[in-house]
Amino acid sequence: MSRPAAIVFDQASVAYGRVPALEQVHGTVHQGEIVALVGPNGAGKSTLIKALLGLVPVASGSISVLGRPPALARRQVAYVPQADTLDPDFPVSVAQVVLMGRYRRIGWLRPPGRVDRDAAADALAAVGLAHRAADRFGILSGGQRQRVLLARAIAAQPAALLLDEPFNGVDAVSQEALLATIRTLAAGGAAVVVSTHDLGLAQLTCDGICLLNRHQFGFGPPGEVLTPDLLRAAYGGAALELGDRGLIVTRS
Amino acid sequence: MIDFLVAPFGRPYMTRALVEALLLGALCGAVGVYVLLRRLAFLTDAVTHTVFPGVVVGFLVSGRSGIVPGALVCAVAAVALFTAIAATRRVNEDTTLAVLLTAFFAVGVILISRQRSYTADLTAFLFGHILTIDTTDIVVTAVVAVLAGLVLLGLGKELLLRAFDPEWARAAGYRITALDLVSNMLIALVVVASVQAVGTVLVIAMLVVPAAAARLLSERLGVIVAVAVLVGMAGAWLGLATSYEASVGHDVRLAAGATIVLVLVAFYVLVTLGQASRRLVRR
Repeated sequence: MSRPAAIVFDQASVAYGRVPALEQVHGTVHQGEIVALVGPNGAGKSTLIKALLGLVPVASGSISVLGRPPALARRQVAYVPQADTLDPDFPVSVAQVVLMGRYRRIGWLRPPGRVDRDAAADALAAVGLAHRAADRFGILSGGQRQRVLLARAIAAQPAALLLDEPFNGVDAVSQEALLATIRTLAAGGAAVVVSTHDLGLAQLTCDGICLLNRHQFGFGPPGEVLTPDLLRAAYGGAALELGDRGLIVTRS
Repeated sequence: MIDFLVAPFGRPYMTRALVEALLLGALCGAVGVYVLLRRLAFLTDAVTHTVFPGVVVGFLVSGRSGIVPGALVCAVAAVALFTAIAATRRVNEDTTLAVLLTAFFAVGVILISRQRSYTADLTAFLFGHILTIDTTDIVVTAVVAVLAGLVLLGLGKELLLRAFDPEWARAAGYRITALDLVSNMLIALVVVASVQAVGTVLVIAMLVVPAAAARLLSERLGVIVAVAVLVGMAGAWLGLATSYEASVGHDVRLAAGATIVLVLVAFYVLVTLGQASRRLVRR
């Protein structure tokens, strides 16, 4: 791969206090690449994203984001949380939410300007929701809210994008819109890390897979990582054998 | 009607009361919206209770002029403590607040119960004495109002982000604890500014009720702030006028601070009923 590295994991372990959450992550996400974090519930996918944001400390090894420690790269990294963690009754409009992506660029004490409003409007158009700008965020469907949060991240014009389970409970239209936008962003040079339960989606849309369950089981192209042996090892009891026809992974 | 709203305020002490009430109505309305967004009503209540011993000590040390400094010291100490507790996230916040606020409050009651004018003083501190407000009190409130305006305008977008999506704010590199300290201090200042006029117990209604009513009336943050400010001011005016009219015109003594609160609550109930009936009609 000739493209420069954006995110480098070097035998990284992440811990909450003294309790190790995730160990021995090793691999590289290059600019323009989409890498999926895959693994069962509690595997440490969200923890790894928090570590990339500098919200959880790296206990040993190292993580470098855009050549710097994660906490120092935050201004160039945008995060897309799960939409259902946000209060749907909060009186904030879709346009206001997207504009939040510009706050760091605007800086303290200053109101958003024309440039910021335009960037926010473009970002909202990119996820196909320009016509909902004036609506309250909470009245949108789950998938639409997820798209608005992606638009907020895009408005920040990040060099790296981190998404936590963006496809959970999302309708087909929104899933397609999310995927198209993420691909466009990657094509523009952004490094994308996305955690997901959906192995099929990961295989179809991602350039790389990081297979996790408390530690790393594989990091590389989908064809090399999403193999029956590795999946069996990572998922344990949640992997269901189908005789000689292969293996499926249940969500339990 | 116009006579009812204007006539009482010809006397100097009523003019001062009106100015103070309008300032407080606007101040509490605006800051109350943030209290509502952050669901900080309980923290605000805790601040009002912890301010109480400060008020008492200030009064015992240097009379009326000691009340605001005493309240300020206590409020700042309490808010610093609460923010630190919230930042550690190790203890249950609700429990800690409940223990602290009752402890502080009890200290205040014990201190004041040693005074000869116990009951009168206690009533004044708990429920305020807006009719005997002086120019210094009005200046204090005005200064806090200007400060609140500056904070809400200057840090409005950061406070909005912190209230809406704290995890994202942290991920973007904002210091949540610092932002919380600023907003909690602002709430403490509002409580301190309100102590003389409406007392430590009724402040919470001035903060929460206009904002809650405004939230029922609109989905837009800008509109909510404007409506909360207007409701706060209108309630203050109407409450004072009602209290005066009842006391002077009909010989029914209504405490001014409490009447303001009741007018606000009545408005809130009316809005709630209006919304409920609209929903019924729509079905």
